[in-house]
Amino acid sequence: MSAVALDAATLQAFRAGDEGAVRAVYRQFAGLVHSITMRVLGDRGLADEATQQTFVQAWRNAEGFDSDRELAPWLATIARRVAIDIHRREARRPRTALDDADPGDSALITLPPSAEGAWEAGQVRLAVDALPADEREIVRLQHLEGLSHTEISERLGVPLGTVKSRSFRAHRSLATRLAFLREDI
Amino acid sequence: MTDEAYTPEEQALLADLDRLLADEALWALPSEGVEHCVVAAIRSEQAALESGAATRTYHLARPASRRRRWLATAGAAVVGAAAAAIVTVMVLRDDNAADQTVAMAGTDLAPGVSGSAELTVVSSGVRIDLRIPGLPRRDGGEFYQVWLKSCDGTQLVPAGSFHELNDAIAWAGVSPVDFPLLTVTREVVAPPKDAAQGSSGEVVAAGAIGECPG
Repeated sequence: MSAVALDAATLQAFRAGDEGAVRAVYRQFAGLVHSITMRVLGDRGLADEATQQTFVQAWRNAEGFDSDRELAPWLATIARRVAIDIHRREARRPRTALDDADPGDSALITLPPSAEGAWEAGQVRLAVDALPADEREIVRLQHLEGLSHTEISERLGVPLGTVKSRSFRAHRSLATRLAFLREDI
Repeated sequence: MTDEAYTPEEQALLADLDRLLADEALWALPSEGVEHCVVAAIRSEQAALESGAATRTYHLARPASRRRRWLATAGAAVVGAAAAAIVTVMVLRDDNAADQTVAMAGTDLAPGVSGSAELTVVSSGVRIDLRIPGLPRRDGGEFYQVWLKSCDGTQLVPAGSFHELNDAIAWAGVSPVDFPLLTVTREVVAPPKDAAQGSSGEVVAAGAIGECPG
């Protein structure tokens, strides 16, 4: 897990519901939480709901959180659980008459298929968020938009050599940070 | 990618990561209003814990094409400091639901007048659907102005001007958490020397979106 530290004072203020601290925690971890909820739910509106609930639940339970631990894995666990609960709630919503619902419907009792990969997605999101912004953007363009280095160079107006070196640094950093995933992926 | 510079282990890992990095979910960010909803929900729940009062729900408006049922529940005590208006919080479950319904009450300048304001938070701002049918129409350089106001009254944000408020839609680009008071003033078009027209201070109706200290 990438170390995303939160100072003790901010954590204490978060527990107390201080608005500034709530916003600080949200801004630091919203990407992590949302990537997990999106992966589980696959719907932006539902993922927004799950993201909101995650932070509210974290605040409710913050008194019991050990400040010696990292906040990210704890939030990731809450996010996954909240998202699965919402998935189950949505699966139970009647699309036909209630009498027609099959109580044995597997959607009512099983995890969404994407939930299993939520933990890995969270790890990768943390590692990506830890990259410098210019490197992160290159990784995004390369993988999400499928651009070549040449195309990225043109898109960003950055020399091709710079794109290549930033891309290399970014991917090496990701490989280093995420080496522990190798056996899990 | 300069693959030749990576170790075989790194290359193998990066090949595996490609699937995750190409997933749109990995790069997704929450909608703009989620942060506000988190802050508002926690603030409300804190207030409820302290006072043991009613329940409030904050949620974003969602596209009509999507089912909406994301309701993060929190409690809130809501007392209108400026207008003694009662705030009714409604949890609605259809695609056109408002986030919150605020009761509007007439002041001494409009006694007996009452109405409502439905607030819906979307990414572009706060939509305020006003229905205050008792206010007489104003024309000929006279109009109503809708405002969001901070608790201490020092900050005032205009949300639109209107002939009447029987069925009006106002918009504000600020958070109702920071500007929890909703007021309507009667105004007259200012002479040219006063291009930056402020509030007349003649409040005809008001309601409280949220709680103000004290």
